[in-house]
Amino acid sequence: MADLSTPARRWRKSLIGWSFILPNFLGFVVITLLPVIAAFGLSFMDWDSYNPPKWIGLKNFERLLNDESTMVALRNTAYYALGHVPLTVLASLGLALLLNRKLAGVGFFRVAAFFPYVTSLVAVAVVWNMLFNPEFGPINQFLSFLGMDVPPRWTTSTTWAMPAVIITSVWRDMGYYMILFLAGLQAIPQEHYEAAKVDGATAWQRFRAVTLPGLRPVTFLVLILLTVQSFKVFDLIVVMTDGGPGRATLVLSQQIYRQGIIEGEFGYASAISLVLFLLVLVLTLTQFWLNNRRER
Amino acid sequence: MNRRKMLAAVGMAAVGLPLAACGSSDESSETGPVELTVSVWSLASTPEFQALFDAFQKANPNITIKPVDIVAADYPTKVTTMLASGDTTDVITMKNVIDYARYAGRGQLKDLTSLATTGNGAKLNGLDAFQQNGKYFALPYRQDFWVLYYNKKLFDAAGKPYPANLTWDQYLELAKSLTSGSGQNKVYGTYQHTWRSVVQAVSAAQTGGNLLGPDYGFFADQYQTALALQDAGATLDYGTAVTQKTGYASMFETQKTAMLPMGTWYIAKILSEKKKGTTAADWAIAPFPQRAGSPGVTTFGSPTAFAVNKNAKHAAAAQKFIEFATGPEGAKAIADIGVVPALLSDEIRQAYFGLPGMPTDEASKKAFTPDKIVLEMPVSDKTSKIDTILNEEHQLIMTKDKSIADGIKQIQTRVKNEAS
Repeated sequence: MADLSTPARRWRKSLIGWSFILPNFLGFVVITLLPVIAAFGLSFMDWDSYNPPKWIGLKNFERLLNDESTMVALRNTAYYALGHVPLTVLASLGLALLLNRKLAGVGFFRVAAFFPYVTSLVAVAVVWNMLFNPEFGPINQFLSFLGMDVPPRWTTSTTWAMPAVIITSVWRDMGYYMILFLAGLQAIPQEHYEAAKVDGATAWQRFRAVTLPGLRPVTFLVLILLTVQSFKVFDLIVVMTDGGPGRATLVLSQQIYRQGIIEGEFGYASAISLVLFLLVLVLTLTQFWLNNRRER
Repeated sequence: MNRRKMLAAVGMAAVGLPLAACGSSDESSETGPVELTVSVWSLASTPEFQALFDAFQKANPNITIKPVDIVAADYPTKVTTMLASGDTTDVITMKNVIDYARYAGRGQLKDLTSLATTGNGAKLNGLDAFQQNGKYFALPYRQDFWVLYYNKKLFDAAGKPYPANLTWDQYLELAKSLTSGSGQNKVYGTYQHTWRSVVQAVSAAQTGGNLLGPDYGFFADQYQTALALQDAGATLDYGTAVTQKTGYASMFETQKTAMLPMGTWYIAKILSEKKKGTTAADWAIAPFPQRAGSPGVTTFGSPTAFAVNKNAKHAAAAQKFIEFATGPEGAKAIADIGVVPALLSDEIRQAYFGLPGMPTDEASKKAFTPDKIVLEMPVSDKTSKIDTILNEEHQLIMTKDKSIADGIKQIQTRVKNEAS
């Protein structure tokens, strides 16, 4: 037997390994990595997709700061994230706690809760739009029944359009994150609860002292996934409100699409993408840092 | 589309860029069979293309046409990418003038000035929209404009005479008196679709206002009419129409509205629906309502055109096709299926009204010969930016988030700040 650790052997092994991931990696490079790198460069250029790009330095970023619509989109994206992330965490954690017990038919309820996530997003948006209809929608009919004189006009009002979108997306996403939380709950050793019970802890104390700390790795993962997802929200908004009324629900990825694909200003669109990328990067790194600090 | 996909699109366009340099040469002297490629949208549901192709191939047996079919909603994006990557499709159909202005401005289309200034070319309705610095890069083959559709049975039931020369005030009153029923059985007097043009393009055309600004005070009257209709319940509320994604065709075909201001493209659709028996609506058209005291009928519309790709493989055959499609034979071919050709001679008009199912009363014929058709949206390099602003503020006025005066003020400020 030859020595496995000779440099030639090691090279050979590496090459074989690489050849296995090559097909996938090639696709990733051509379709994702190169365009991302190109977008970095493009954000310092003026390019209409046809004539040669022109280097214009930081002009795109200067324009971005003075562009009211982009600033509106940035604020709206932050508003969406601030509503969507905590509400989804609460809703999915609540569902997970509810469905993490031995109960007849619990499987059915778990599937039911997961269903929105696998439903076509366009269908979700169209149906919720109808539910939110200010005149004939069941939501407002119910609110009037409860005695509300002037129920919100939801997607036709600048004040209520974003809450309507947030409610819809929470409903859609909670099933998926519920599954993650369920997995997390089941990984918490039963002995901890028993020990807590023996020590006379109430249900709330057990939740605070056993469940929450036990769920921390999952919560961290969910927070990261949700933050990234919130900042790049696009499809739901396009189908539900298309940024309207006015600019009340215009978000960053939509602004990128409008500037790039519709207006043909690829340089400027890349600059906005870069800002969005940096924003998500900073938020994610902050979350990692916070998590690490608490772990210590 | 998420950010990653959009970046991918950018990248693919970048990869395609060098190809643009090696486009094909002009083969104007070719003989023998030619396969001409033409970009079209939703071929199956846009019968005018097949009608034109069939007529052309019959007249030119050595040229076969190969359509490049693109989904209507993706058409502008797809064509932009195709042209950027040096695609050699010969004839590019211009779905709207805003995209045309962009392609022509970038130098992606062949100069067709000689076709546009001689023979039938000069007689085409809507040709002006394609002029760029004294040159033409596309020729219109169809020119749609707006008329007032109405449902005869609903007028009869209300005991009202059919509309002929309405002012906007008369239209408003008529719409109110034609409204009846409630809940699921409600029939509206009219249906004002959610597009901003229903209010904005009308007022620009009829007051002579400029949709590119800087002053938008001319919007006020038309917005008052639109909101009054809505307040009286004489049209479906804007918010409801948007949230339910109401289709204007279904409103009219299910007889839920007595009137419908809409473009002439709808004629071909309703003719075919009637033929299939999917609607019982007994319809006719009337001239578009006017401002009080205005002489003649002014409406607005927009042309659809053919252009030759700068990288075309068969430029000569492409020109031949455009000459045919925009000429009398092409006009006849599309008029036969209910589409309004840009070349509108008396003969073609007659053929048009001879179509089975077409209303033949005087008002309908008058509606078809407006005195003036103003271009729906003027073309400039600011058009699409201003279009976005006008759209956003239109929503705010129609949902009463802003008063008419505040909305107009906001449009003026935004156009000044964001599109100058």
